Amino acid sequence: MANPPALHAVIFRIGEIICAAPAGIVREILPRLPATRIPGVPDAVEGLVNVRGSLLTVLDGHLLLEQPRREADEGAIVVLEVKGRSYGLGVGQVIDFLEVPAGSVVERRDLPGVDPRLVKAVGLHAAQHFILLDVDALFAPIIGA
Amino acid sequence: MDLSKYAALFLAESREHLNACNGSLLEWERAPTSLEPVDRLFRAIHTIKGMAATMGYAGVAQLAHAAENLLDAIRHNRVSADPAIFQLLFRVVDTLGGAVEAADGTEQAADADLIVELDAAALASQGTRTRAEANPESDDSQALPTSPPIPESKLRRATDAPRSRPVQVVISRGAAMRGARAALVLRRAEAFGAVSGVQPPLAQLERDEFDGRFFFRLQSERPEQEIEATLMAVGEVQSVQFKEPALGGDAGGPRRQIRVDLRRLDALMKQVGELVVAKNRLAALTAEADDAALIELSGRISRLVSSMQAEVLASRMTPVGEVFERFPRLARDLSRELGKQIRFDMEGEEIELDRSILDEIGDPLLHLIRNAADHGIEPPDQRVAAGKSSEGRILLSAARERNTVALRVTDDGRGIDRARILAKAHREGVAADEVDTLTDDLLVRVLARPGFSTAGTISGVSGRGVGVDVAMTRVRALGGTLEVRTELGRGSTFLIRVPLTLAIVRALLAEAGGERYAVPLAYVAETVEFDRRAVTSVRGRETLVVRDQVIPTVHLQDLVSTRKASRSARQPTVILEVGDRRTALVVDALLGQQDIVVEPFDAPRGLPPFIGGATILADGKPALILDAAALL
Repeated sequence: MANPPALHAVIFRIGEIICAAPAGIVREILPRLPATRIPGVPDAVEGLVNVRGSLLTVLDGHLLLEQPRREADEGAIVVLEVKGRSYGLGVGQVIDFLEVPAGSVVERRDLPGVDPRLVKAVGLHAAQHFILLDVDALFAPIIGA
Repeated sequence: MDLSKYAALFLAESREHLNACNGSLLEWERAPTSLEPVDRLFRAIHTIKGMAATMGYAGVAQLAHAAENLLDAIRHNRVSADPAIFQLLFRVVDTLGGAVEAADGTEQAADADLIVELDAAALASQGTRTRAEANPESDDSQALPTSPPIPESKLRRATDAPRSRPVQVVISRGAAMRGARAALVLRRAEAFGAVSGVQPPLAQLERDEFDGRFFFRLQSERPEQEIEATLMAVGEVQSVQFKEPALGGDAGGPRRQIRVDLRRLDALMKQVGELVVAKNRLAALTAEADDAALIELSGRISRLVSSMQAEVLASRMTPVGEVFERFPRLARDLSRELGKQIRFDMEGEEIELDRSILDEIGDPLLHLIRNAADHGIEPPDQRVAAGKSSEGRILLSAARERNTVALRVTDDGRGIDRARILAKAHREGVAADEVDTLTDDLLVRVLARPGFSTAGTISGVSGRGVGVDVAMTRVRALGGTLEVRTELGRGSTFLIRVPLTLAIVRALLAEAGGERYAVPLAYVAETVEFDRRAVTSVRGRETLVVRDQVIPTVHLQDLVSTRKASRSARQPTVILEVGDRRTALVVDALLGQQDIVVEPFDAPRGLPPFIGGATILADGKPALILDAAALL
């Protein structure tokens, strides 16, 4: 019997929310790096970081999802490719790389405490719900034309 | 043999020769009796023919051949040069240009109509031609005088090119005027067939460094002994050999050049840029360690990287003349199109700019020259009525000024009517009502508004209001500035100022609110100390008096930060200067100078205009680069 198509996703936590991004758009995962603030841009832009001699614009996931920061979090940067450009998303903790059977992900947009426009779908992992982020919608107000 | 790999080389060399053709034609048109430009034109077209035939571009070769016939007829006084002939030859150069660009190894048909016209002109003997002198007002578009029928066979030539053989010639060591001898040898060789691939290039043969050795390819099936004897007969020729030049060798000899794909230089530049960052980082780390050997090694690496950086930068520097050379032809065509008399002069063609900037600067200059010809220079009758010479002048010049290159387009035309522009600016809401005078500074901003045109009518040349707008946008994208000086009735000057190079910039590091910013040194006039006692207020704006000059201030901390900080009485201040506009940038601290590499990054929305880019500093942390022009 053929397995149902699976979803590959990187699972991470921002504040109290477990999030997922499709593995296809995740370029790499970096430790937290000191960022240089960019004046005049939206607050959700954390700033510029140096990734092996190249500059990466990092967005603050906690501000974007209006989540409190957890003291104990080490922090990490998930580098995502959006519209041909790479942006870093600052998260609290990267949890797992998952292969989820497509059947266990349902399109559901009403989740308490999260802007429904940013939720593409909801899935279940280790008895916990995670939201598959609509990264385009999440970044849209921030990234330039 | 697979020739496709030579196609790029063919294109590059042909472009050079076609540019030379335009230059020679313009010169010849100004002095129709002089023979020298005709010879140069002939040689250039002949070379293009030879190269095209070698490459199998029969269409190009046929057209070049027909043009050569006409030129030959003129050289031998069988046909005299008149405006119609010049116009025909300009068309040939344009058509060849198009054909050369389109040549891609596939068989291209020649422009048969043009060849027919050329042949007709070449065959028209002096007796049967209507002499141009009899009708100097003759229109270009006028059909050529009656021409005898063209034999079909004349339309198919130069397709079966004979093989090309290598020829090495050495002029005797003691010979005087080696360049002239070499030119003579080439002239003799041309009697046997097409000469191409002359090395060193023709222009260098006349230089003092030319050591008398040169190489070329000759398309001829004639016996070697015959060719050798003919070439030796020039005199002072030491040897003629039919073999390929040796590779390498000649160390310490005359300068030799190769063509390099610009992408390679770009890649090299990028790597050197990263090396510079790594070098800066190494120097910073070494300074913390107390190890004499390490410090010495770091110093050595630092010097090596610096000299390597200088070499790579130098290899990218190209004379602005490469971009300028297309403009005399443009000016000529414009003056005809507009019915004006325009003298076009150029200065400073030898000034060098980074290739990447040079590639971008042609368009802005083109717009400014068109504007000068169309709006600046008046029609001859108006000029005479205003007490000027009927011939207007446009001067395109380049000059090195500190770390920038200033490119000026100056005309002696009518100048810009500030009152008219101001009225229009008021009507369109561009200028506030209380503004009653247009400074040069405000004027250029008004002119650069998209779609802002002062021309009463739109001509084919300009008037759609895109010229200054386009020029401004392009120039700003290069980190440059555009300024204007104008005097009613006397003329205008548009000044483009661009950095020498884009990739690596010497910058002053400044701190404000605990953050570091890089200020390109090209725009730093001096640094002074901000002294509260030297501050005055002009129209509600804080200004600083430096040596009797009143300079408006900008506090970097206010600019970059939302929180207000307490100000100390004395703070370092950077005087920024673009043209003759100045601004005093007050900072918390100056942290020294550094070579910085401008790094690309994906900018978020809302990036303020005074942020010109970003870089990575010696300690590995990113920093933003301030755009001086936006702070003024």
